[in-house]
Amino acid sequence: MTDASLMLAGLVIGIIFGFVLQRGRFCMNSAFRDIILMKEYTLLKAVAMAIVVQMIGFHIMATMGYIQLSPKTLYWGAMIVGGFIFGIGMVLAAGCASGTTYRVGEGMMGSFVALLGFMIGGLVTKGGALKDLTSYLQPTEGALKAITTDNAGPYVGNANLTLANIFGLNPWILVVIIAVVILAVLVWKRGSEETKAEGTLYEKIFKTGWNWWITGIIVGIIGIIAFYTFQNYALGISGGWFGFLDALLTGKLPRLGSGMLNWFTFLVIGVVIGAAVAAVIAGEFKFRAPDAKRLLQQFVGGVLMGIGAVIGTACNIGHILSGVPQLALSSILGGIFIVLGCWVAAYIMFMRG
Amino acid sequence: MNSDVKPTETLDVRGEVCPYPDVKTQKKVKKMKSGEILEVLLDYPLSAERMPRSIEKMGHEILKTEKTGTGEWRILIKIK
Repeated sequence: MTDASLMLAGLVIGIIFGFVLQRGRFCMNSAFRDIILMKEYTLLKAVAMAIVVQMIGFHIMATMGYIQLSPKTLYWGAMIVGGFIFGIGMVLAAGCASGTTYRVGEGMMGSFVALLGFMIGGLVTKGGALKDLTSYLQPTEGALKAITTDNAGPYVGNANLTLANIFGLNPWILVVIIAVVILAVLVWKRGSEETKAEGTLYEKIFKTGWNWWITGIIVGIIGIIAFYTFQNYALGISGGWFGFLDALLTGKLPRLGSGMLNWFTFLVIGVVIGAAVAAVIAGEFKFRAPDAKRLLQQFVGGVLMGIGAVIGTACNIGHILSGVPQLALSSILGGIFIVLGCWVAAYIMFMRG
Repeated sequence: MNSDVKPTETLDVRGEVCPYPDVKTQKKVKKMKSGEILEVLLDYPLSAERMPRSIEKMGHEILKTEKTGTGEWRILIKIK
């Protein structure tokens, strides 16, 4: 693909992704937090469905030679610290990276403030005042250095560890087992929490929130298309926003020849546009803001998410939505600590006393 | 805002972010007496969908969920 068509593809996929995120209320902060806070599993089921669809889709494409899996590098210290900081941050920010991005499109100014904090925290940690922390946790030598493999096994295009190649297994064995287990649980636990959708097909698509399984399947399909289009990786949110602010500050605008920045930055801008379109059609777009204290809380949360996403090398989308389906050990570890950080923050903020 | 039932109290959580509309409503509900009616005004879409489910799970009755305007909802809860 040429750079121009790659940019356009990023924008179009972003718009569709944003539309689906808004319709499905797809936010991993809510998904994980509500497990302990409200015993609500609806969004968690959507996340699980998206992971299964992508896991199968990625491995089919890899088997057919359309893509090569690209699990992220396993810096175990960085995944633990970065994931945990990110998880705390998303509770304070009232949305994960994707949740915050789509809510900007709904007119939520608190999420806009969180997004500013997210971009600032990211750049500060990437190349600014906190860059030493990043290089300390992602070193080239010593106990914290990257753990790689000499035998990455089939379908994997780099030397990074997956749940399959660490045991020398064919990935399909794990893909089938994990998919069957998750789908069985989803079928068993279906329905009881479903949105009662009434009305015409038009109303179900454009007016009321979607059922979890529809959201999960469509998010999964978007991720598969994204991986096929972009080739290097599937969906991600943090890189696009960091690139966006970086381009504004340095004047190095996304231009032809730097495909990474083009793709991810246009993707996240597309998400805001798509979510805004969905919210306007549904009659849910409204400029709104919480009080000053909450705005500050969301800003701090955004900064922490930015710090965590750079240290841990990805946000919830890059790790949990795109990395876990590739069975990447880095993303599984990072994802676990994102969830733990989320739970600790949610417990302290909402559940004590 | 025509209403067939007269609420005992009104909780306005418009502007609040995830999950404060739900958390504040649950706290309020726990303080109220049996038979009383709580009116919740909110403008956060996810809570408008999630709150009726979680409140019913607590054993209370949802009398009404209505969209009152662009991005705004009104939920009437009867305390068990």
